[in-house]
Amino acid sequence: MADPFIERSLSQPSFFKDPKTTDNRRFIMIQLFRVSKTFGANIALKDISLRIRKGEFVFVTGPSGAGKTTLLRLLFGGEQPTEGQILINGINLNRISRLNLDLLRRSIGFVFQDFKLLNRRSVFDNVALASVVAGDRSSVTKKKTHQILRAVGLASREQAYPLQLSGGEQQRVAIARAMINNPLILLADEPTGNLDPEVTRDIMLLFRTINLRGTTVLIATHSRELLDNTEQRIVVLHKGLLQETGR
Amino acid sequence: MTLRLWARYFKHALTNISTNRMIHAISVGTISISMVLFGAFVLFFVNINNLVMEWGRSTSMSVYLKDGIEKDTRQRIESALRNLPGAEFKGFISKEKAMSDLMETLGPQSGVLAGLTKNPLPASFEIVFKDVQQLQLDPRKIKEELEKMEGVDEVQYSEQWLERFEAVIYMIKLVGLVVGGLLSVAVLFIITNTIKLAIYSRRDEIEIYKLVGATDWFVKAPFLIEGAMQGIIGALFALFILYGMYWLFSFKTIRISGLPLMEIVFLPNGHMIFMLTLGLVLGLMGSFVAIGRFFRFFD
Repeated sequence: MADPFIERSLSQPSFFKDPKTTDNRRFIMIQLFRVSKTFGANIALKDISLRIRKGEFVFVTGPSGAGKTTLLRLLFGGEQPTEGQILINGINLNRISRLNLDLLRRSIGFVFQDFKLLNRRSVFDNVALASVVAGDRSSVTKKKTHQILRAVGLASREQAYPLQLSGGEQQRVAIARAMINNPLILLADEPTGNLDPEVTRDIMLLFRTINLRGTTVLIATHSRELLDNTEQRIVVLHKGLLQETGR
Repeated sequence: MTLRLWARYFKHALTNISTNRMIHAISVGTISISMVLFGAFVLFFVNINNLVMEWGRSTSMSVYLKDGIEKDTRQRIESALRNLPGAEFKGFISKEKAMSDLMETLGPQSGVLAGLTKNPLPASFEIVFKDVQQLQLDPRKIKEELEKMEGVDEVQYSEQWLERFEAVIYMIKLVGLVVGGLLSVAVLFIITNTIKLAIYSRRDEIEIYKLVGATDWFVKAPFLIEGAMQGIIGALFALFILYGMYWLFSFKTIRISGLPLMEIVFLPNGHMIFMLTLGLVLGLMGSFVAIGRFFRFFD
């Protein structure tokens, strides 16, 4: 994909030059200490301890029901752990107030398999939403939205509605919305689950580009194809247990 | 900053109304119908109350004369009536005038009088006592005194009729209070649930707002504004519908057996403002309760 944003990003050196070799506490973005989550009698996650550095690109994988989505939901405070502690950029989610959690979410971008777009709002409005919520002035929101839509290659579709777009385009809108506030972390839950292989490659390239700009990226997927072709770290979950953190 | 935020909340609310036109139309329609029911009841009650107040405020008295009395006797009675304290002399109604008035009042049904060979109606003097209660007049005592006069056959006054219906009016007021109370609760329940359903149908939108870091107030404020607007627009429509019904169906004067009983009035300005305020408050309360419940569900 000959995208000016990607070309420009790839040409810029990442701020986090070598995150894999840096193991200092201040370089840790996500930390889980013996985290468990149960829903009634069902154990979704059990005794998970995990550490993800700033600027790292991590895949979380495992079969359906392994706890991937629950893990991602815990990371943005969509669920509270039954046991254990979660730190995001040094902030303990167990001790955070509701208002501060809302503010923290503005520095976390989310991308879902079902895109979660407002179908009765235009592409522009969908992307601008995150900027509006963050309290940006409308002139700033307009500028940022135009820029990010250009970056994901949707500048010409900004007045279209989500249902008028292809699956790949809808996912790009969701990514643009997730990225408009320059988040510290990007969480994606099966982001390519509904997309064909060619579009999947484009979307993954977009994630890699975002990561190269310094954003920590965490992608939950059960696609073997994605994992086979990656050099990134892979976290494997099985029946709620952390089985391995590879590469 | 606050002004900018509120401007944004209002803009959001208007955008939401524009993008969810159907849901809003249904909500406004439901609120309108509920408010029409409530307003119709208030209208009925206002008119009944007016009637009772009118009856209580002034007492009209008819002094019926015996047939064939002398002119002097009639003048003596008239003079006595004109000098009664607190009384306003309204005039003399001859037997012929009484008959023609009755025929005019009965209109098409006046044929029932055609078979009469002799005019049975007595001549009368009509007087009205304004502010009976303020002047502390006792119409019963005045009636007794007047009936003692030569040439006077019988004296009737409007309160006699009112006294007979006092129990009925008390019952109407009691039933009105109970029905009005129940209706208010029902309207609140309907409005709350309508708004709740409208909000529920937009749960994905709320979820997305929360996902991108919107504060609770940022999500709630436009919904509250929408609720208040729905309430006030619903109440406004209800008033239009009520006025239309009043205009279409009101014969202005309710008649019983052809005799005028009362003049129908529309809701006074104060009541209309009350209805609009009620709509606004109910819409606001409805969305407040609904969004509160929804947030608990979302949490």
